[in-house]
Formats: sequence, C-alpha cells, structure tokens
Amino acid sequence: MSESLLGMPPGRVDADVGDASVTLTVDATVYPLPAVYAAAYCFIARCYVLLDRGDGDTLRVVLTGKQPMDAAALRALVGEFGNELLASAWRREITRQNRGLIESVTMQAFGGAMGPPSLDDLEAFDFTDEPFDDPLGIAQSWEEKYRKPKPAGDPEAP
Amino acid sequence: MRLQFHRTLYAGTAIDAALGRFAHLANTRFDRSETPEYFVVEVSASSPARSRAVAHELANFALGLTIEQGGPDR
Repeated sequence: MSESLLGMPPGRVDADVGDASVTLTVDATVYPLPAVYAAAYCFIARCYVLLDRGDGDTLRVVLTGKQPMDAAALRALVGEFGNELLASAWRREITRQNRGLIESVTMQAFGGAMGPPSLDDLEAFDFTDEPFDDPLGIAQSWEEKYRKPKPAGDPEAP
Repeated sequence: MRLQFHRTLYAGTAIDAALGRFAHLANTRFDRSETPEYFVVEVSASSPARSRAVAHELANFALGLTIEQGGPDR
C-alpha cells in the first residue's frame, strides 16, 4: 500500500514498505534524462530501478530493495538517490559550461603529444601568407611609432 | 509479473539483449509484446516470488544496457 515517507514531499515520493519500494516523481525540466540515467546507473547494483514517464514533464523512478526494507531504510535510499541525482545534474551542467575549455585543453594535449614538427613538415609549410594588415599601427613598437624625424643634413643622427 | 518499458526511456535492442541473456533460466517464460508507448514483457516462473525476482533483475539489466548504449534506440 502506497504511503508518504516522513520528511519527504507527498506526491513526489510515495513508498510501499510492504513491497520495499519507493516511487519518486522527478521534474525532467530540473533533472534532465541523462542525469536520471547517471543516478539510476549508480543504484542498479544496490536495488532494482525502473523508469517510467509521469504526467507532463515528469519521470517516475521506482526503487525496489533487493531485500526487505523498513520505512527508515527506504527514506535513506530516497535521500541518497536524490543526492546522486543532484550531483549528476550539476556535473552535467558544469561539463556543458566548460565544454569549450575542455576541448581546447584536449586539443593542446593532443597537439603536444604529436611532438615538434620535422624538417619535412617545416619544408612543406606554407609561409606565403598575406602580410599582416595593421592600419592603426598596433603592432609597431613605441620607438618605431614615435621616433623623432632625422634632422636634415646631420650625418651623426641615428 | 508484467513489466512495461517506456519506449522513450528504454532501448528495444537492450530489452532483446536482456531477454537473450535470461532465456536460459529454467521454468521461466518471457512473453514480449508492444504497445504504441511501451515494450511489454510478461514474466512467468514457478512461483510469484520467483517471477518478481526475475522480472526485477531483467528490468535492471535492460536499464543498464540502455544507459550503456546512450539511451533509447534512434
């Protein structure tokens, strides 16, 4: 018979102590499916996990103990699953935010592993690029940019 | 015991692979069917308790394979 667990939000967590099972309703807009998969994968060694679609954008996760479990054990199971779910969702978000940086570092690592270019590589390298276009003189040194003009007729001047 | 695997959450190939792995079990029958939304597997064993245990193990196996292959079939 389904009942709410003490301290757990009713409607989100329903337990069946006789069946040693608990059903969590997860908002898929907060916890995307890959995060639910990741959390579920961590738990399939400890309990039986069944996923289903709920109403609207919700997922139902049914956790069933492999051994008989009392209400306290079920509550602990739900808490640990919730923690794992949050950690999985957060890891995924961090990965998403840092994807560019991760790809850049990976490319540099692969580039470094390839070693310095050989003489053949250098010989084949195309050095015929267009000259650097610098209309504002940004690439010029201060001395070049603000050099005093030579006085006319002074052979000692630099 | 009747298992229902939602098509958007489970891979049919993973369920087939799980059924193949469990097919050798003695005195246990698996009947696979489909609805528009679900893959359905009916597990019949020598006792209700054994049916339940086998069904749960099968569901775990199918979920694990689905996750390892990156989600449902595309």
